[in-house]
Amino acid sequence: MTDTADAVDRTPSDESGVELDGISVAFDGVTALDDISLSVAEGEFFTLVGPSGCGKTTTLRAIAGFEPPTEGTIRIGGRSVEGVPPEERDIGIVFQNYALFPNMTVRENVGYGLRFRDSPGDQSPAARIDELLDLVDMEGMGDRDPTELSGGQQQRVALARALAPGPEVLLLDEPLSALDAQLRERLRVTVRDIQQELGITTVYVTHDQAEALAISDRVAVMSDGRLEQVGTPEAIYREPASRFVATFIGDNNLFEGTVTDTAPPRATIDGQPFLLPAGSEVSAGESVTLTVRPEAIELGDGDATLTVTVDNVEFLGDAYRLHCDWQGQSILVKTSAWTQTDDAVELGIDRDDVRIILDSD
Amino acid sequence: MRRRRFLQQAGAGVGAATFLAGCNTAPTGDDTLTIATYSSFTGEDTAGAWLKSAFEEEHSDATVEFTTPENGFNQFIQRKQQGAPIGADMYVGLNTGELVRADEQLDEDLFRSFEGTIEGSEGVKESLRIDPDGRVLPYDTGYISLVYDEDEVENPGSFDALLEPEYEDALITQNAQQSDPGRAFLLWSIHEQGPDSYLDYWEGLLDNGVQVISDWEPAYQAYTNEEAPMVVSYSTDQVFYHGPDVDMSRHQVGFLNDQGYANPEAMGVFADTDQSELARQFMEFVLSERAQAEIAVRNVQFPAIEGVTPSEEFDEYALEPPNPVTFTYDELVGNVGTWIDDWAQLVASN
Amino acid sequence: MNERRWAERLAIPLGFVLTVAVLAVVFYYPVWSVFSQAVWSDGGPTLAPLLDVLTDPFYTGVAHYLFTDPLAVPGGIATWLQAGMPAVELGLFGFTAYQALLSTVASVALGLPGAYLLARYEFTGRETLRSLTILPFVLPSIMVAVGFVAMFGSQGFLNDVLGLLGLGSIEILYTLEIIVLAHAFYNAPLVTRLVAAAWESVDVRRVETARAMGASRMRAFRDVVLPELLPSLLTAALLTFIFTFMSFPIVLALGGLRLATVEVWIFARVQSLALAEAATLATIETVLSLLLLYVYLRYEDRQSSASSGGTPLARRPFLVGWNTLTDLRRIGLLTYGVVALAVFVGPLLSLVVESVTGPNGAFTTAYYEFLLSRQTATASGTTRPLPAIINSLVFGVGTLLLAMPMGIVVAVVATRDLPGSRLAEAVLTAPLAVSGVVLGIGLLQTLVFGTVLFGHRFTVLGPVAIVLAHAIAAYPFVTRNVAPALGSLDDRLVDAARSLGATRTRVMLDVELPLIGAAVTAGAAFAFAISVGEFDSTVLLASNVDSYTMPVALERYIGNRSLGPSLGPATAMATVLLAITAASFVVIDRMGGRWDL
Repeated sequence: MTDTADAVDRTPSDESGVELDGISVAFDGVTALDDISLSVAEGEFFTLVGPSGCGKTTTLRAIAGFEPPTEGTIRIGGRSVEGVPPEERDIGIVFQNYALFPNMTVRENVGYGLRFRDSPGDQSPAARIDELLDLVDMEGMGDRDPTELSGGQQQRVALARALAPGPEVLLLDEPLSALDAQLRERLRVTVRDIQQELGITTVYVTHDQAEALAISDRVAVMSDGRLEQVGTPEAIYREPASRFVATFIGDNNLFEGTVTDTAPPRATIDGQPFLLPAGSEVSAGESVTLTVRPEAIELGDGDATLTVTVDNVEFLGDAYRLHCDWQGQSILVKTSAWTQTDDAVELGIDRDDVRIILDSD
Repeated sequence: MRRRRFLQQAGAGVGAATFLAGCNTAPTGDDTLTIATYSSFTGEDTAGAWLKSAFEEEHSDATVEFTTPENGFNQFIQRKQQGAPIGADMYVGLNTGELVRADEQLDEDLFRSFEGTIEGSEGVKESLRIDPDGRVLPYDTGYISLVYDEDEVENPGSFDALLEPEYEDALITQNAQQSDPGRAFLLWSIHEQGPDSYLDYWEGLLDNGVQVISDWEPAYQAYTNEEAPMVVSYSTDQVFYHGPDVDMSRHQVGFLNDQGYANPEAMGVFADTDQSELARQFMEFVLSERAQAEIAVRNVQFPAIEGVTPSEEFDEYALEPPNPVTFTYDELVGNVGTWIDDWAQLVASN
Repeated sequence: MNERRWAERLAIPLGFVLTVAVLAVVFYYPVWSVFSQAVWSDGGPTLAPLLDVLTDPFYTGVAHYLFTDPLAVPGGIATWLQAGMPAVELGLFGFTAYQALLSTVASVALGLPGAYLLARYEFTGRETLRSLTILPFVLPSIMVAVGFVAMFGSQGFLNDVLGLLGLGSIEILYTLEIIVLAHAFYNAPLVTRLVAAAWESVDVRRVETARAMGASRMRAFRDVVLPELLPSLLTAALLTFIFTFMSFPIVLALGGLRLATVEVWIFARVQSLALAEAATLATIETVLSLLLLYVYLRYEDRQSSASSGGTPLARRPFLVGWNTLTDLRRIGLLTYGVVALAVFVGPLLSLVVESVTGPNGAFTTAYYEFLLSRQTATASGTTRPLPAIINSLVFGVGTLLLAMPMGIVVAVVATRDLPGSRLAEAVLTAPLAVSGVVLGIGLLQTLVFGTVLFGHRFTVLGPVAIVLAHAIAAYPFVTRNVAPALGSLDDRLVDAARSLGATRTRVMLDVELPLIGAAVTAGAAFAFAISVGEFDSTVLLASNVDSYTMPVALERYIGNRSLGPSLGPATAMATVLLAITAASFVVIDRMGGRWDL
């Protein structure tokens, strides 16, 4: 529980990477970003995730210089970029719809940035283009027109183009969202591999929480123009700092209510007795949400045992997902051990699998 | 790179405009006489071209240059009004109405007075002396008349006859606001019907289907295309149209009330000129018998000087009205503007 | 390198400032010098001239009661309704609007089937036909008037044909009908182009969806296609109304004084040097057309944001053997083709025929010989055809070089969605809505006569001034072509290029302009053709007698009587002008591909 719900990222700033300090953006007086502070370390793969309209793309565009912040400071490589136009920011950007220049060949697209910036390491532009095409597995395709390529190929070219001038920061705006599921998963590994190979500071925007968890060093969950939580994928998944994060990241079961009585390790919430995890403290009168992940619930006994009816069973291949009903509340369970066919089932929950979110906000 | 240069050139264009500013004044060299006139007065085979070369021959160090501003004489009234340089030494091709307009619009005289010092000016026909102050001198005149197709209509012979059903949709005239013959025809009708009842007369003409076309050229073209059997034009019509293969039946000249309305063309020297001596010599040359004959033939107008015979051919085909009429300068002052405005409003709202 | 980047970063703002500066010198200042006479007298503001016009029934018809006796208006309307709505006095403004309305209806009627044909049928020469639809719009009106007389006059080609068919004859010269027809000649192609473009962008999937849901062919057209065509149709109609409301040379040449419009009347007032009254009329006229222009721009804005990608409707082959003649729609289109031929090709063809026909109807080359004799003539003041052609081409290229960057810069600014950008665009597009007569008199008073600054009188004259004035007339058409295309480009392309280090200017040159090549070419074609056809400011600003262009030469030949009063030399010159205009279109077309409006 290192991060709190008012989610200020406290990673110390260093001389590289990207730093946002109190960034707000408003369009026509409507706030799109509200006081965002975060910092991305050099070489880090940092992902902004959230539902559409949460401000993640606006954050990315503010870093790129396309949306000037109404307040706050952005630093790239330790230097404030206030008033610096996008073309001088030393960034590379990849968009969801590829945005390849249709009037240029693949080579010309990849080489476009080299017209304005020197190739890293005194390479000739031609050699740099070859290197990049090689990197994204597109060797030999340089003379094609972008329109002749498949979506996945186009996105590789877009990635190569963004990387060619050796930018300080790579910005990726939902780069895989237009692709089909299988390709998306393959390509995200490619993206991650390339990022690791180059060690380039990367800010990645996606609405897909699974994707965010899969490829990031750290993840920032956004909602409604604000940061909900920043942390490693594991921390975000295991220790959601808010109800929003708890529900947005992965499947979850939530029990909400007001504490009416406490007798550690138990507490009564809305008349139901709950066993709380070790070391947790709640006091009477507080609104709380208890969460437990579906895969943490076992069939049979636990620290707490609930008797539920099973409404629906989904077969996922590697597991089953059960939609259960417990006293009018629905409970999700993910298990590989499902064999029963009868309706009434006992579910066991270990107290240390329960997370408490204080609904202070 | 190519497109970059494109932008640079565009920028250079704007710069050049600024450089150009301020270096354009009237081309008045020592012996250059700049004459403003209408554009068809100059060019190959015209009176203007002949005058230039003949005058330059007689005055070996003089050069005549023509300028033909698109809005004609008005340009000089406006230049004078705004204190802008006049840009010419004299004007050739002025009519009475224009002189009246200049005097009404301007507090100062646009033209200088030459009375008595122009050799030959005493020979100008009395009826053509349009300027009581003697600033401008006529050099030729046209007579406005009808031109009609004798196969289709008879010569109406009078203004009143034009209101008859026989002449329904038969007449094309021109807009008096901008056309010389059109204005002359309107003034003629006012001369005959009187300033108080000419509008009633025109109401009748409009009811009878008179067509009012912007200018002489399109009007005559419409007549040529047989849009109507009569057109307001000049009594010199047959000078243009005669010869073995021309059907003269369509070029009959019809005078109304035995009259034709004289529309003299005059010339004057701008008060601001520094070439008044050369300009005076030019005016004298224009009034010489040789020039008068040439101008008449080339401009297809009657000479302004008494007793000049342009050519036998001209004599045969240019018809002079038995009674030339015209409004004098004094009759027009204070009236002509209102007459035309009232007439135009009547036509436009019909 | 660094300086170049700075230059590139400044290019667009600087281009914008320069555009405004050129506009200020060659447009706003001259026009203001005229308008000020309507609202300013004896050193103070005044409403008197405005009220004089508004309260004069000659100008405003029955509407003058609005200004003389507003309280009696409701009663008056009631009486009028009770009397069975008899015809009312329209006044000059009312008549002008009335003829503009009729012209708009006629242009739509004549333009729509063309749009249908171009958008929905495939036939040999369709692309060329589409390119040529731009031609009428830019032909000088002096020339079109001559062609219309030759085609529709009582001795015209049409009556010859009708006579041969035993159908009697029509007399429409100097009537409202011919004015409306000539306006349709100019503006129906506009309707055709705009609607055809919209029709081509209708997504076939939407039609198919509607059909799959049970809609009949007609029903699908009404529910899916028509709503997508309407905006473009309304846009075209609004533009047509603006253009014909301000129509001048056509009415002057084909209508005569009895059909005078506001603009014709302004011209007459200017001729009588009643400048305050002319300025007042022009002010009212301009306010009205600027309002319409503003509506148009707002409307167009909504429309471009609604444009869709997707698969266009497939074109049907037009010729299907003998079946062509059994299909009602194709027969209808063939009939339309005959009408279109008469209206669009007729006048131009008659013009060409006229140029080789003598007064007695026999073939003659006299008029072309006349042109040649002018070329070899030595007398000063002679209007020679070759310099006219060369001047026209040089001014045309100059205009292109200036109007293209101006128009593109304004388009770039206009496509940025900033508050007030519509208004700014309307102001920058104002040359479309200000009367040519007013601009002419304004140019005369300011640039030709000169303006006193710092004790010196500055005049702006000669070829550079002509090119500047042509560019002002032409660049709104570049903008109108380029802005919608620019607006439809994916913003991400610009973002991607900038992130790679390209300045805004470079993005425009490297990515945007190449991608909207067709629209840029169309803008270029317009700019060039407008310059070649421009007459009014050319004659005013030509400081020496040798700066004449083809239309000026044409006009002078009309006034030249050395072959007798004959349009012959003018038709010969007009034929040359037509040939050169058409040729330059083909050249621009070949260089830059197809264009769209």
